[in-house]
Amino acid sequence: MPEEYVIEMKGITKVYPNGTAANQDVDFSVRKGEIHALMGENGAGKSTLMKMLFGLEQPTSGEIRVNGEKVNLTSPTVAISKGIGMVHQHFMLVPSLTVAENMVLGMVPKKSGLFIDAKKAVEITKEYSEKFNLHVDPDAKVMDIPVGMKQKVEILKALVRGARILILDEPTAVLTAQETEELFKELINLKKQGYTIIFISHKLNEIMQITDRMTILRRGRSMGVHNTADVTPEKISRLMVGRDVILSVQKETACPKEEVLRVRDLEYVNEWGKKMLDKVSFSVRSGEILGIAGVEGNGQKELVDMLFHLDIPNAGTATVNGENILGVSQRAIRAKGVSLVPEDRMLYGIAADATIEENMISDRCDAKRLNKGLLFDMKAIHKEVDQLIADYTVLCKSSRQKVGSLSGGNIQKVVVAREFSNSPCLIIADQPTRGIDVGATEFVRKKLVELSRSGVAVLLVSADLNEVMELSDSLIVMYGGRVAAYFEDTKGLSDSLMGEYMLGLKQQTPEEVRRVCHE
Amino acid sequence: MNKKRSLMFTLVRGTAAILIALLVATVLIFISAEGATFGAKIAQTGSALRQLLIGPAFRNNGTVSVKNLTDVLAAMIPIIFTGLATCVMFSANQFNLGAEGGIMLGAFVSALVAVYFPLPGALLPIAAVLLGGISVGIMMLIPAVLKAKLGVSEMVNSLMLNYAVMYFIKYLLNTHLADKTKGQIMTYEFQPNAAIPQLVDNGSKLSWGFVVALVAVVLCSLFMYRTRWGYATRMIGINQQFSKYSGMNVAGIIILSQVLGGLLAGFGGGIEMLGRYTSFNWSALPGYGWTGITVAILAGNNPIYVPLAAFFISYLNKGCSLMSTYSGVPSQLIDILQAVIFLFFAAKQFLARYRQRLVVKSTEEELKLAAAAAAAEEGGAK
Repeated sequence: MPEEYVIEMKGITKVYPNGTAANQDVDFSVRKGEIHALMGENGAGKSTLMKMLFGLEQPTSGEIRVNGEKVNLTSPTVAISKGIGMVHQHFMLVPSLTVAENMVLGMVPKKSGLFIDAKKAVEITKEYSEKFNLHVDPDAKVMDIPVGMKQKVEILKALVRGARILILDEPTAVLTAQETEELFKELINLKKQGYTIIFISHKLNEIMQITDRMTILRRGRSMGVHNTADVTPEKISRLMVGRDVILSVQKETACPKEEVLRVRDLEYVNEWGKKMLDKVSFSVRSGEILGIAGVEGNGQKELVDMLFHLDIPNAGTATVNGENILGVSQRAIRAKGVSLVPEDRMLYGIAADATIEENMISDRCDAKRLNKGLLFDMKAIHKEVDQLIADYTVLCKSSRQKVGSLSGGNIQKVVVAREFSNSPCLIIADQPTRGIDVGATEFVRKKLVELSRSGVAVLLVSADLNEVMELSDSLIVMYGGRVAAYFEDTKGLSDSLMGEYMLGLKQQTPEEVRRVCHE
Repeated sequence: MNKKRSLMFTLVRGTAAILIALLVATVLIFISAEGATFGAKIAQTGSALRQLLIGPAFRNNGTVSVKNLTDVLAAMIPIIFTGLATCVMFSANQFNLGAEGGIMLGAFVSALVAVYFPLPGALLPIAAVLLGGISVGIMMLIPAVLKAKLGVSEMVNSLMLNYAVMYFIKYLLNTHLADKTKGQIMTYEFQPNAAIPQLVDNGSKLSWGFVVALVAVVLCSLFMYRTRWGYATRMIGINQQFSKYSGMNVAGIIILSQVLGGLLAGFGGGIEMLGRYTSFNWSALPGYGWTGITVAILAGNNPIYVPLAAFFISYLNKGCSLMSTYSGVPSQLIDILQAVIFLFFAAKQFLARYRQRLVVKSTEEELKLAAAAAAAEEGGAK
């Protein structure tokens, strides 16, 4: 018998109803008991391939074998019955239920055939939790537990349902460095017990650290299978994007000028009565990039929401060039020269069913240069949009193509092209490169630096520690709704020191933090 | 998928929907057909189908029936207006169903102007139709402002408003405005110069209103696709959060779209009233608003297709009434027929597999072309 494959996908092609060929003739095989990385840029077809393996999508052609047996995975239920489990990037948990209740959802243990056996649910949870060394609190409500534990619950959920093969979709995207380390230990432990793990990620160092083999996808095609030990990060990066990517950003030293954004004592209590922002004060000056680092859920999202009037603060002030921006319409905020690259690009950044052109003019449809009297000046609009598509290298067939049919990276380029091109004086970039491919990431980062050096004030919010540290001139760390630390210069900062501030182990004095106000 | 294939798919799909509807109709007609023997029933079914499908265009002897055709065109006038009104409102994702009450109010206000305002010549019908439209525009402020400012469902509000408007009109008609010399409840006769002139004088009531309706179609298309307000309307319909974040005046546009819908419905009511009648005697909602919703959905909320959809519906209606007159098949059948066609048009999954095959084919061709281009480039480089 040759090598023992638990999963064999042969000649898989998938064409979506919008005409996107997400996978073309892809072969993907996984050996029993290995950690196998699936790598590729966004839009390379990783998620599609895995969705087909988990029964969420059906291939247009090709065959799938599990343990040598040809299968027809028509739904996740079928996939689960074949021992395949998937941990999604966005957790599929019920927040108001306890960990144990989530664990047994859909396979609830019954007492005398009618009542839910809550005790049994807790027992099952504890049993699996100990067996796999994945520690969770069975009685805690899911909404109260940290992200890292939610992920463990997801993994346990798959294991309880008898999964022998686990698909992890970008599992470390939401974790801190410490939590990632812990996850890796657990994965290696699972591997030792004979489980097979498919690990989807963009992060080269993680792949190098934990996986045995990898399959690389590029534009829907397989770039071959490699032993992790035999390839260098540079080679992987070349295979993924077909060229060498400069992963560090080149930038001159900033010479900040006048204050643009001034935030003072901002406070916000959310609808459940939790204080999300606690006397947040800082300033961003023209020509500098101020980064905001922090584990997600420490007030960054709320801060951006306040600044763009997506929510209303309880106290505090925020001004741009001396004019108030709190509680005024987005139209007025934009009129003051504020641009926002929103975190949720599908919800705020684009109208998926509209064309690229329609998406690119949404903030300037009233502009005189694009209108002739009552009517649009279609020529001027086409010209401006075609120029933006060229400048921002948006890959598309035409400007009349629907934005929803583009890949994640190209959608973000559409958003960025619009937000960067209306001569802003302040750009708020919220997770500007989350989930987009290496090429697009590099492009967006370069543009941000370029704009800041030309005198734009940039506020960069990112959960990607590398990104904030590389891109920012100075940065603040948010923890528990407060500014926990301010670093005037990002050079020489270590990950571990940042981690300590991000996890609340350390805290600067109010005087040290106050320096970010530049008063 | 390329344009040609996508157009072909739309055509095939539309034809298939209509054929299936006709099949259902044939079965129903056969069941309800009179006749002692099987053969007689078949013959009856055949003649009924002939009336339904060909009757509106040709006489029994095969010559073109101008009268029937002008009847069809005349019937299009009000539903073009309600169709446009619904298009504009639905495009902004506002499910306002008030075109029905709107067309009645527009007709009523225009009728009052035509009776009571002593205006000279053509000024009278123009003023009457304008005031009819404006009054409905104001009426639509109720659901529109409540939606924009308080988030009240415009669907529930506009639906209820239809009946409030109808009973209010009936109350005025019954008490203060009735022509008591007549045996029927109606207003006084319009002043003679209020009538909208006819295009063809054959009793079909095909007035110049038809031309106005076509002009409205063009203006509406320009508004939706060539102005910043129409653009904002469509963007709000696609993604309201995005529009708000982009700095559009969302509440303003939500109100604007419904007021505009009201204006259009009101114009339709006024034109229908002055083009067809000499006094106002409607005692119930006329139904044009409901048909307008069907028209808007068939047209995919694109104003330019509204006349096509309106023609289709009018033609079927005429066919049905001919069928019931000449072959004794109940005219209620039209509702079933429309429902079946509508169902298949609206069903997203209908023929989805066929569409998928076309998509796959197109994509494969594109990929081949791309590969060939890449190969050519490489060859050139060498």
